[in-house]
Amino acid sequence: MTTSTPAIEDARGQGTGSWLRDNRTLLLLLPTLGLFLAFLLFPYLNMIVMSFRNPSTSQVFAPGYTVFNYFDAIFDEDLYYLEILWDTMVFGVGTTFLCLIIGYPVAYHLARTKSRFQNLLYAFVLSPLLVGVVVRCYGWIIILANQDGLINSTLRKYGIIESFIPLMYNTFGVGLGLVHIFLPFMILPLLGAIQSIDPALEEASQSLGASRTKTMIRVVFPLSLPGVQAGTVLVFVLTISSYVIPILLGGLNVMIMPTLVVQQLLDAMLWPFGAALAFILSVTGGLAVYFYLKFTSHFMKGIA
Amino acid sequence: MTAAVPRIRLGRVVYLGFITLVYVFLLMPLVIVVLASFNSGEFLTFPPEGFSLRWYVSFFDSESFMGSLFYSLKVAIVCTFFSTILGTTVALYVVRFSGRWREHLRLLILLPLLLPEILTAIALLFFYYNFDATMRALGLDMFVGLFRNSMVGLLIGHILITLPFVFLGISSSLYNFDMALEEAARSLGAGRFTTFRRVTLPIIKPGIIAGALLCFIISFDLFSISLLLKGIGVATLPIQLFDYVRWDYDPTAAAVATVSILITLMAIALTEKLVGLRSLRF
Amino acid sequence: MTKLTINGLVKRFGDVVAVDAIHLEIDDHELVSLLGPSGCGKTTTLRCIAGFETPTAGNILFDANDVVGLDPEKRNIGMVFQNYALFPHMTVHQNLAFGLEMRGVAKTTMDERIAKVLETVQLRGLGDRYPNQLSGGQQQRVALGRALVIEPNVLLLDEPLANLDAKLREEMRFFIRHLQKRVGITTVYVTHDQAEAMVISDRIVVMFDGHIHQIGGPKDIYSRPVSREVADFIGLSNFIAARVAGKDGDGGYVLDSPLGQLRCDYADSLDDGQAVTIMVRPEAIRLEPAKPAAGTSNAIPGTVLERFFLGNIQGYRVTCEDDVMLQVQAEPWTEFSVGDSLWCVFDVERTWIIRD
Repeated sequence: MTTSTPAIEDARGQGTGSWLRDNRTLLLLLPTLGLFLAFLLFPYLNMIVMSFRNPSTSQVFAPGYTVFNYFDAIFDEDLYYLEILWDTMVFGVGTTFLCLIIGYPVAYHLARTKSRFQNLLYAFVLSPLLVGVVVRCYGWIIILANQDGLINSTLRKYGIIESFIPLMYNTFGVGLGLVHIFLPFMILPLLGAIQSIDPALEEASQSLGASRTKTMIRVVFPLSLPGVQAGTVLVFVLTISSYVIPILLGGLNVMIMPTLVVQQLLDAMLWPFGAALAFILSVTGGLAVYFYLKFTSHFMKGIA
Repeated sequence: MTAAVPRIRLGRVVYLGFITLVYVFLLMPLVIVVLASFNSGEFLTFPPEGFSLRWYVSFFDSESFMGSLFYSLKVAIVCTFFSTILGTTVALYVVRFSGRWREHLRLLILLPLLLPEILTAIALLFFYYNFDATMRALGLDMFVGLFRNSMVGLLIGHILITLPFVFLGISSSLYNFDMALEEAARSLGAGRFTTFRRVTLPIIKPGIIAGALLCFIISFDLFSISLLLKGIGVATLPIQLFDYVRWDYDPTAAAVATVSILITLMAIALTEKLVGLRSLRF
Repeated sequence: MTKLTINGLVKRFGDVVAVDAIHLEIDDHELVSLLGPSGCGKTTTLRCIAGFETPTAGNILFDANDVVGLDPEKRNIGMVFQNYALFPHMTVHQNLAFGLEMRGVAKTTMDERIAKVLETVQLRGLGDRYPNQLSGGQQQRVALGRALVIEPNVLLLDEPLANLDAKLREEMRFFIRHLQKRVGITTVYVTHDQAEAMVISDRIVVMFDGHIHQIGGPKDIYSRPVSREVADFIGLSNFIAARVAGKDGDGGYVLDSPLGQLRCDYADSLDDGQAVTIMVRPEAIRLEPAKPAAGTSNAIPGTVLERFFLGNIQGYRVTCEDDVMLQVQAEPWTEFSVGDSLWCVFDVERTWIIRD
């Protein structure tokens, strides 16, 4: 009389004889893998191909291929496109730098604070991220608007100024918006990195005679470099590919690459040219990040 | 015998003052938007004019805004559903079964996070167009319009962007999972699927819930993807708001924005209640 | 060279009193251990001396100066942390140089001093290594060197050997002791390992629940523990409840206990009828198969419950009258079996009284 045993694998790990049954865990992977291959990798390759297509005035692109999209972009007679590329990179670096110096103390405080508000403060840093970029920009519009914004109207009301201070539709407004939107993206990686630094190291430094400031500079900051690296790269990439903020806070006065690209795609319907511009932006940004990472890894001996 | 007195030093005051200013800076636009939405005047002044709900009335009266609100909710819910399922299954595979492909797969799945959203949107825009053209050329007219300017196409974009977040949350739960629990279940006679259902799933549930809620919030607020992939005549709430705000400062937009903030806050509060805010760390 | 004085030190964390009004004086050149179980307040006390905790009340004097309220970096202390806290992004040399840089020492002098210290801690030639390239024992010595190279007033060590394996820990005890004697620096050493405290210290401060129970040399603490906790924490003990029956002729006391009448030498005065606890160490008890000569003190009959061999001793557990169990450590060649009846004999001089 045989008793039924629970379904356990053969001790020798033998399969059931069917490839599909043996590898049924692949079913977990295939839908997502398929999705990514078909709708992410392939479209990106397609986009590169698009940048080599002939532009057309009547439809989004014409038959045939060309490299002139790139030529026109780079060797334009006014260097218009290169100038915009440069402006975009400057915004990227500037925003990143400001986010770093503003965000670092906040991240350090949040990492080391023992106050019971710690969770609340963490929510304060996280919530703006989750609210959506259009809403946040709109908030700044209310505050900064040139004619009737909160700041201008209040200053005028109390007679501090006569006409208005231009706070929007210029570099200042866009820069402010960029720093505001991307600051949490700097704080969060820094927070993680600083939290992983053993507090005993700071105490050791103090016990050896270093003041708190010296300890920050000589011990904490170097050890937090992986987080600094992550945060700066993240903010930089986000800034140079940001469309909403410059459009809402800068209008047509502040022109950067993403705005230009979308213009080519939705307004001018010159898809190949738009694709070429997008590609130029990506490669430039990618190279900048690559060299930056190489440069900063030199300072990370002993930590990373 | 001296009692220890806490020293109040200038350096510390400056430090804490600076940090407070930064927090104020972070939250100010949100607070201002909410204030403006309740302000009776058309422009927010200091001090505010008065309390009024007229902008909310205007919002609920507006067909376009209400339409876009429901559309956004619909898209977000469907996106969350698929993203969570796909994210969970692939996380399980990558953490447990992927062997030497693990890091490659991880990189692939995290790609939408690493690549700028606008580029992904553009790539999909081109792809959908070319897909239609190819379908037409092949005579498969029934597939034309399947992705381009359709909700399906939009959803795919949303799913691609949100999936990495779900994946990160669940794979971190799985990394920390003590396999001894499953082995104990198996030793007691539970088969693979039962073990998964009764032991693994309940334990990683917080990770799944956190991932799903994050997914919802992100999808609801997505802009660039929705801008390029949306159908003609429909709009998600962020797009509708964007269009309105570009040309008009009417605080109806503030009411819309406040409702948007409210939805997000409710989702965050729900996450905190169910699984704790720390699960959102990635 | 610094004398360290602690007066009425109190430290509260919310409702919890970690350190409850302790007084302690540590002389110049002395190595004093703070010994006790987790949570007894020893680490908190150390951190107050270092300046990482601010006392709720009391003062801490380095020679004549009260340092309470003074920043840690201004106290000129040398501290060795439990996990060493070596700066991972600096080489050994740079770690050692750090404190000297803070003091503005000239480079050539710095290099000389570092070379000397590397020699002292037996790490010559390893100056260019990074901490993660060193073994645990080597890292520990770098931590020591870093604290010593600055020639501080006071040396503070927080369970520095806790992360080393047993053999290394034993060697390092002697190493630290000799080093401290050579350099002659006032040292406070926190540990929960009583063997470590006994090997290393000039005096031991035994702490429980924020209070000091006893301060004394290793022998004092061991042979004449002032409380049951101290007796229990250091080595093994046998406790017998008893009442004072009266003085005996030789300056000791006679006591009534469930195990019979016992005699004990004790200097302080006790009242008749006072309830006390008699303590006798397992190694002080001799096991004899037959009843000893009449008048021998102290002798208790019993039965062997368990025996176990530990290499250098033969351990026994003996049940006696009134369900009292005595632990005995006998010489390795004794051969009593479970169930044997025998007599436990221990000298009056090695019997001790703990007041309840």
